[in-house]
Amino acid sequence: MSVSPSVEETVKKIVMRIVRKKEDEYSPNATFQDMKADSLDIVQILVAVEDTYDIEIPDEELEGVTDMESFVAVIERIVAEKG
Amino acid sequence: MSLKGKIALVTGGSRGIGQAITLKLASEGADVIINCLRKRKAAEETAERAREMGVKAHAIRANLAEPEKIEEMFADIKDKFGRLDILVNNAASGIARTAMELEYDAWDWTMNVNARGALLCSQQAAKLMTNGGVIVNISSLGSKLVTPVYTAVGVSKAALEALTRYLAVELAVKNIRVNAVSAAAVETETVKLYTSDPNLPRSIVTTTLAGRMVQPEDIANAVAFLCSDRAEMIRGQIVVVDGGVSLTLMSGIQSKGGGEVSG
Repeated sequence: MSVSPSVEETVKKIVMRIVRKKEDEYSPNATFQDMKADSLDIVQILVAVEDTYDIEIPDEELEGVTDMESFVAVIERIVAEKG
Repeated sequence: MSLKGKIALVTGGSRGIGQAITLKLASEGADVIINCLRKRKAAEETAERAREMGVKAHAIRANLAEPEKIEEMFADIKDKFGRLDILVNNAASGIARTAMELEYDAWDWTMNVNARGALLCSQQAAKLMTNGGVIVNISSLGSKLVTPVYTAVGVSKAALEALTRYLAVELAVKNIRVNAVSAAAVETETVKLYTSDPNLPRSIVTTTLAGRMVQPEDIANAVAFLCSDRAEMIRGQIVVVDGGVSLTLMSGIQSKGGGEVSG
């Protein structure tokens, strides 16, 4: 029986693929700016995460996002609320 | 110019120019399908405004950079509506970069959404246009004129305009008409991304012959006309809706040599 990857693991794979960096360069404390993600990268990340979990991430939810850890926390909450 | 009974899909139809096109087609009596990239809520709100006009409206979220998402969207349309009469390839994305700053993944994304997405949507739409139909592609002056940092989008729009001509010829046998509307800078949130002036570029405002910026509704009016039977003899054309901006671009250039031209 396979275990579903955690939200953090899935988000990490998506983010690092889109910013074209190796997964071992990921840090929960890294900001999008640290990872040189431009506005188009961020749109692609949001679309990929939303498609993966079939969710919508409201812009206002992203206002408090400072780093990957807080980004993952937002996704985890929305996924949990969806049930 | 009634479009009553027609079924129209507007990609990127939830806001800006796409929303104006959606609501214009609905006001002419067409049932509307609104595609959006992310903001389903905005698409649902636009759908609700269309329904208030007495037509059917349906919102579909689909990333047009992904071919399989396009296929899923058209499967949904076939399931819910059975056919399609009008496709407006309006969805566009991109990033403000010079050619030398442009990274290949940003190039790929822009071309995939703006040009390849339009091709794939047209292929799928043509299969559902069993009684003929109309395709209108939304382009911009950046396909021909150089605007700073508009590189990727400008090139994608050039491809879209070429695609318009090829589709117009190929799909004529299926009684599908294909044209494009090319817009100057339209007063939307997006245009602000391409200017450092938060109050919009003054030169654009003052150089339209109409003395105002092009509005989304100006584009929507042209699209609605092209969708109507009155435009039957317009094929593969790029209709420019720019308030005359492109006519006066040379007006400020002074000749150094007293007007002499050598060649």
